[in-house]
Amino acid sequence: MRTLGIDFDRRAALLLAALALTIAAIIGFQLVRNQRIADVLAVIDITGSMNTRDMGNPRGSQSRLEAAKATLINFMQDVPCDSRLGLGVFTERISYLLFGPVEVCNNYDALEGAISGIDWRMAWEGDSYIAKGLYSAVDLASSLKSDLVFFTDGHEAPPLPYTGVPEFEGKPGAVKGLVVGVGGSEKTPIPKYDDEGHQIGVYSETDVPQDNRIGAPPPDAATREGYNPRNAPFGALPATGDEQLSSVKTAHLEDLARRTGLHYAELQHVSAIAPGLLSATEPRLLPVATNMSYVPALLALLSLLVLYALSLFEAGTLRNLRLPSFGPTSYSKGTTVYGA
Amino acid sequence: MIFTNPLGLYLLPLILVPFFLGMQQQNDYPSLTAVPQDGLSRAITWALRFAGSVAIGGLILGLSGIALREHKIERFGQGAHIVLLIDRSSSMNDTFAGRQPSGAEESKSAAAKRLLKDFVIKRKHDRFGVAEFSTAPIHVVPITDHKGIVLGAIDAIDRPGLAFTDVGRGLGMALSMIDEDVLPGSRAIVLVSDGVAVVGRRVQEALRTDFARRPVHLYFLYLRTEGSNSMFAAPPPGAEDTPQALPERHLNKFFESLRIPYHAYEVENADAVKAAIDDIGKLEQTPIVYTERIPQYDLSRWAYGVAALALALLLAAKLCARRIRFVPGGAHVH
Repeated sequence: MRTLGIDFDRRAALLLAALALTIAAIIGFQLVRNQRIADVLAVIDITGSMNTRDMGNPRGSQSRLEAAKATLINFMQDVPCDSRLGLGVFTERISYLLFGPVEVCNNYDALEGAISGIDWRMAWEGDSYIAKGLYSAVDLASSLKSDLVFFTDGHEAPPLPYTGVPEFEGKPGAVKGLVVGVGGSEKTPIPKYDDEGHQIGVYSETDVPQDNRIGAPPPDAATREGYNPRNAPFGALPATGDEQLSSVKTAHLEDLARRTGLHYAELQHVSAIAPGLLSATEPRLLPVATNMSYVPALLALLSLLVLYALSLFEAGTLRNLRLPSFGPTSYSKGTTVYGA
Repeated sequence: MIFTNPLGLYLLPLILVPFFLGMQQQNDYPSLTAVPQDGLSRAITWALRFAGSVAIGGLILGLSGIALREHKIERFGQGAHIVLLIDRSSSMNDTFAGRQPSGAEESKSAAAKRLLKDFVIKRKHDRFGVAEFSTAPIHVVPITDHKGIVLGAIDAIDRPGLAFTDVGRGLGMALSMIDEDVLPGSRAIVLVSDGVAVVGRRVQEALRTDFARRPVHLYFLYLRTEGSNSMFAAPPPGAEDTPQALPERHLNKFFESLRIPYHAYEVENADAVKAAIDDIGKLEQTPIVYTERIPQYDLSRWAYGVAALALALLLAAKLCARRIRFVPGGAHVH
């Protein structure tokens, strides 16, 4: 087509298309997608057994508490921005909320500082009623309307009474999330610290309660040596056991997870908790506007390249491939001359 | 300068294409030696090669998501670095009258929460940290300029607390947070409590040396419950004047003996809390360096814009191009 001496051929069409597409890219358009985000309260067990050094690579280079903190910091990098993370600590029998979920990306360094600041010295009691702590963490997460990640080694201190795990009074599955078992499967001594925080060895058999002697004695107590209903209802012999050694209590934690409707993951077998958490929880979708201007820009680039490629195919190939002429030489063959 | 989609940069060698391939339709011509050397034509040829290169480059940079990195600018302002040291003992959840909170009266922690949040929001250039204490000192948020997490931590202070009030070790925690904060500026600790326990002799000595080591302003906001001990009043003659009987009065005396800038506020209702917090705000107006975040700025639009200009130039050149037509007789027309 030729109008006013101008050729409207395919080159003109390609150039026009490239220009129009580039202008479309400048104007830009956005596609609203639903992005899956995490909104989670992380509660970390800070009782004494979490100081046991049986995590990390090589095994033993990290205490359980350090491993849990490192996992949580990695988790922040695995979830998309706009995800929210809250933090709590557990000791004795309740979970203590440090702060409710806040956005991860904007508060990243403060969150990292807060997680790193968690220390076993913040524990206000030596006891570790894991079941009750988990139940109160579920309550906390439910009041914050967030999911829950509960890091613990499952080591109850004192040991559970013969009646077993206390009943969960909430609705199982109302709060979704993960119980993360931290620790190795081998029994490992628990470090012992003095008032100033210096390690002074490990706990020995007589340092920790080996048996739960609170409440009613078990039915078989009458058969124990030295049993006296009034003076020695649990028998006369001191309890023996290996409660001074700690390992991750997988069966107990799986039982607790089942009671509360949470999923269970064991940190020594999984490298990151984000996939497990996302599969354990309902999707929380957030509409996110994505800039799609790369699509017209890519098409514009493509049409421009086609335009240049045309010269390869139109009339011979190598004949038209010309090198840039830098010297004051004559025109290479085929150069169109303007202004003549 | 960053690229949000750096994989696109692999396409960048394509900017050389215009230097090897022509854009214009080519016509056969018997011999170019007949055409005189023409500087203008050569300049235009090069200009069009560059325009093509710029168009391709602009599109590729835009595709790669070229952007200015988020950066921080240091500015001077008025403010301070403040550690909020908050009592989380369970008595904080009672009202100022010492009762369970009802619809009409808010609890001490709810009042403190509301007013402290206002304070944090209003203080634009301050950096805040949060520490709590009850039976044990608890590290919550290190000193930071991220207000969101500080507000989140203040939001949590009316949750059920623990039993006791170990203010001494709480102060130790606040001081260690101040040690970790490296930016220059005036430092302050705002202690919010509704009644304290005795600070032991050894902890007192440790605090005395810690406070002597660094200049810290200390504000003690005593949320006094109706009928409990006053911090300032001397006991009537004959009554016991020991730290065990009147721990707040003796804590106040201890703070006064530290020889640091210290202000004590004994407040009995929410309005008084607000007045005290406003007063702290007025006192903490020393010059500080604060950082302002300049968010990431997307430059891809500018890159596309440059590409569009170059494309417009190419298009104009294309529309000016004329085909060489051979007519019978040997002469050619444009």
